[in-house]
Amino acid sequence: MASDTERAATADVARGDVGGDHLLSHRTQRRLRRVFLYVVALVVATFVTIPVYVMVVIAFQSPATTFAGGNVNLLPSEVTLRNFRVLFDTTLTATYFRNSLLVTGGSTLLSTAIAVTAGYGLTRFDFRGKGIAARAVLFTYMFSPIVLAIPLYVVFFSLGLLNNLFALTLALSAVSAPFTIWLMWQYFQTVPIALEESAWVRGASRWRTVWDVVLPVARPGYISAAIFAFAVAWNDFTMARVVLSQDEKYTITVGASLFLDRVSIGWAETMAVSLLISIPPFLIALFLQNYLLQGFSVGGLE
Amino acid sequence: MSTTRERTGGARSLTERVDSTTLLLAVCLVPLAAFFLVVWVVPILYALGMSLFEAPVRNPQFVGFGNYVAVVTDDGFVNAFTNSIVYAVSTTVLSLLLGLGLALAINQRIRGGVALRTLMIFPYLLPTLVVIFLWKFVLDPNIGILNQYLVDWGLFEEPIAFFSTLTWAMPAVVITSVWKFASFAFFILLARLQSIDPDLYERARVEGASSWQAFRDITFPHLRGAILIILLVRGIWMFNKFDIIYLSTRGGPLDATTTLPIRVFEIAFEQVAFGQATALAGVMFFFLAAVAVVYFTVFTPAEEVTG
Repeated sequence: MASDTERAATADVARGDVGGDHLLSHRTQRRLRRVFLYVVALVVATFVTIPVYVMVVIAFQSPATTFAGGNVNLLPSEVTLRNFRVLFDTTLTATYFRNSLLVTGGSTLLSTAIAVTAGYGLTRFDFRGKGIAARAVLFTYMFSPIVLAIPLYVVFFSLGLLNNLFALTLALSAVSAPFTIWLMWQYFQTVPIALEESAWVRGASRWRTVWDVVLPVARPGYISAAIFAFAVAWNDFTMARVVLSQDEKYTITVGASLFLDRVSIGWAETMAVSLLISIPPFLIALFLQNYLLQGFSVGGLE
Repeated sequence: MSTTRERTGGARSLTERVDSTTLLLAVCLVPLAAFFLVVWVVPILYALGMSLFEAPVRNPQFVGFGNYVAVVTDDGFVNAFTNSIVYAVSTTVLSLLLGLGLALAINQRIRGGVALRTLMIFPYLLPTLVVIFLWKFVLDPNIGILNQYLVDWGLFEEPIAFFSTLTWAMPAVVITSVWKFASFAFFILLARLQSIDPDLYERARVEGASSWQAFRDITFPHLRGAILIILLVRGIWMFNKFDIIYLSTRGGPLDATTTLPIRVFEIAFEQVAFGQATALAGVMFFFLAAVAVVYFTVFTPAEEVTG
């Protein structure tokens, strides 16, 4: 008993409950701090969750139910796919979605491929100006998409590439590549050269070594790079808004952004489309969370 | 250029090896160079060129730095610049504080911490458009739940159209942005916190340090670098942010939330003055370059990638 109290007291000392007036016992103070922590966590959890909850509920309720009476009804009483049906019947949502998938898939592949090759090359080969290259990559990483979008618009305009999904794919890769390159550049440095050397000594060609030894080891790196490139392209509004101007070419973000101006589309359908746009990122968060966090630890994502 | 690690071992001849290495080098670096040339270097140089012309697309007239003078002396410039700073500073500082508080809390290993960490990914991964939809709904004057509660609790006399009043538009945009971007600071700081050796705290404990002293002498020094990076990088990105503001307020009401990126867009696509738009983009570019100098003295990229 006595030793227990003693231990608790030592722990309190360590946690800093010494000095000053002791109106409360150490244990109460510690409990209070614990309660405070949980309150903070709860408030943040609520702050984060409520808008998402609102989205899900409204997406699956008919507007009549949601807006019955004066107040918004947020305690679900029905599940209906009506909003999704309206969305697909009266808007080009399916086309927008397909365009987004095409552009995002293309840009993820392109950005990751460039990052892997460039990252390997920059790590394993020495040349003058590497420091400058590093600065250039990071500088472009901080670049404002809108400041890049204007020149790209002009260049695409003079090449007749406006309204072209391939041009948008290139533009989006321009936004994501600086970070994916940086990430792979750092990642390859954690792959010991000894791994490759032992393969060379055994007679494997450099190419084979890259394919059979380096790439498997670097997998977590390029998965986080791909997630980042995916997020940039899927979330993008700026580039698509500037490069595209035809309804059938719009990506889901640009297409859906017009819904609020349309009479036939209300909040119910807007929340339904929001949910659709959110599904791919949600799946990533669910399955690839750890890779995503790896990306953060390398120096942040946009 | 030369290869660092040449080995003559193996069955192949040296020349063969060098050839395949050179080819590998080419495969690695040529796409990179080509890509940067096509999507970065050429457009930016082209734009810098355009910024020296009046009506550069149809009937170019060389005006030297006239466009720069015009956009900087324009009435809207000071307002847009001020708004950019206000927006960047407030969103960055609030995101940092929120992220830091939560990272410290979760690092105490509270129950449900893992679930909370997962929850924090959602705002970050939700596309900006969705975030705007959600907050426009939550803050809506007629149906928004926040307005409902604020009026019910007597904090406000009547509902407020947050995104379209002069006083509230900027705070509403800031809240929306912080909601989305606090996780950025949170994840970086949490990663740093979790990399601190627990023995350090144990030793401090044995020596009788208070928890404030432990924070000041152990936690904070470990976080300082990360905090600096967050302030700089997040600050730069928020200064440059276009989509969140454009989608929520289009820069309005009047020019209350017009920042420099919004102005660049307006000048380019509403006034169709590409010379001036690229000049303003150029001003932002040079401003960014100046901040980058600070950034590169804090953060030394060359050490990170050649060490």
